[in-house]
Amino acid sequence: MRENRIRALLLAPATAIFFVLFVLPLAYFFVISFWRKVLFAMQPDFTFVNYLLVYQQHLATLAFTLALAFVVALLTTVLGFVYAYIVRFKAGRWGPALLFISLITMFGGYLVKIYAWMTILGIKGVLNTALLALGVIDEPLPWLYYNAGAVVVTLVNFSLPLAILPIYASMRGITDIELEAARDLGAAGWRSFSDIVVPRSRVGITAAFGLTFLLAGGDYLTPQLVGGKVNMIGVQIAAQFGLIFNWPMGAAMSFVTLGSSSVVALFTIWLFSQWRPR
Amino acid sequence: MRGVSDIVWRAVACLFVVFLLSPLVLVVLFSFTSRAQSAFPIESLSLRWWEAMFSDPRFPGAFWNSIIISGTVGLLCAVIGTMAAMALARMEPGRARPAAAMLCLPLMVPPLVLGVALLAFYSKTHIALGRQTVIMSHLLFTLPFVVLVVYARLRNFDYRVVESARDLGASPLRAFFTVTLPIIRATIVGAALIAMSLSLDDFVITFFTISGGQTLPIFVFGMIRAALTPTANAIGTLILVMTIGTTLVALWLTRYRG
Repeated sequence: MRENRIRALLLAPATAIFFVLFVLPLAYFFVISFWRKVLFAMQPDFTFVNYLLVYQQHLATLAFTLALAFVVALLTTVLGFVYAYIVRFKAGRWGPALLFISLITMFGGYLVKIYAWMTILGIKGVLNTALLALGVIDEPLPWLYYNAGAVVVTLVNFSLPLAILPIYASMRGITDIELEAARDLGAAGWRSFSDIVVPRSRVGITAAFGLTFLLAGGDYLTPQLVGGKVNMIGVQIAAQFGLIFNWPMGAAMSFVTLGSSSVVALFTIWLFSQWRPR
Repeated sequence: MRGVSDIVWRAVACLFVVFLLSPLVLVVLFSFTSRAQSAFPIESLSLRWWEAMFSDPRFPGAFWNSIIISGTVGLLCAVIGTMAAMALARMEPGRARPAAAMLCLPLMVPPLVLGVALLAFYSKTHIALGRQTVIMSHLLFTLPFVVLVVYARLRNFDYRVVESARDLGASPLRAFFTVTLPIIRATIVGAALIAMSLSLDDFVITFFTISGGQTLPIFVFGMIRAALTPTANAIGTLILVMTIGTTLVALWLTRYRG
């Protein structure tokens, strides 16, 4: 009894924050997604009109966002896997240094990195001016910037550390003894990779894909700053809380985005769990 | 053959490092350019963009807001996160793990959605937007990190030393402050510093919950939208120094090795 009370007391502030600042706001947000906007004010109601409008007006944007987020998450997970693989199996004494680089780039500089890519890819940007100065090109390349490619590069760049760390954490559990035993039993190269390394990294790979997919699908600054005309659902959601000022609509769009990206992420993770490389 | 594959792996690793670090290095580099554009060639080094940053009337407010917000977030996280981690450490792993996973749920929701949902919530409950709402909102995504790091430390903690203190007549509270806390202090401080660095760096949630105020990332954003001058590089460099600096100290204190 006493032990239970101490535990509850210790957990109380964290649980309070979780329920008051996470569950409650999301629940209220869900409720207002069924309200209506009437002359710059919200009118309590129970209507699906916002969801209907999401379907009618934003379906293409949503589909494009999910496709782009999928590409970003896939690229990030594969690259994160390669990086973690190098740290764990190939880098030797440089492994800790490589891991350290991914750690320090994880906690800092979300906005700074987006800004950096603006200055790198722009028409008068770092890449173009450097290539011009080196004489590789005669005039600036206009296609580096303000397109979906620039958005993908930027999103992959700041998501990569988020993918490396969980994959490395699960790879660290693979011992050299297992790999040597496999080799002695005749399973070397691809066999040991597909039968040991990939399955043993499954948890990390799944976490990396899920996290980067959800975050990329909900991003709005990257398309706004380096995407030009690239339209993602996040930009549209943010607009409902800015100039358009239609919170019920923004709430409905948020939940459609959350729901559809969770479905896509879970389905992909399920597909991956069925895959047995040979 | 061995030599060739080694060279290939090394080259791939170098490409990765360039991809991860070059954006940050370039931001720092161009904060010292004498030209008005963040581009090559750099004709000479200059501090004019740093002077421009310091003389901007919005700078002191943004800087102190960032310090106050991240400092408060770090302190609150250290206390609340350690308490929660100690509760988890007192449960069987089978029950502690789902509880920890639940506390991590806010990390799976895009910051944009969290930001606008919190904005709607604060407006409904008539909580005035400002530093206080930013601090509360930051706790949501910083707390999970502190709980996880401190909980990991407590899982390989030798409880016999606490039991000895209790056998010698120390109250639970006294045993905590004289035995447990000194042993896990470095971990707590490290975890709190990670929370501070996440808080310092946050733009999206701050943007929706601060209402008109400034923090360093908000200041940079305003500058990027107006015109691309290297003043944004100077503020960006300052943010990087602060976030990466606190992360470095945190990694050293928690002895985190991946």
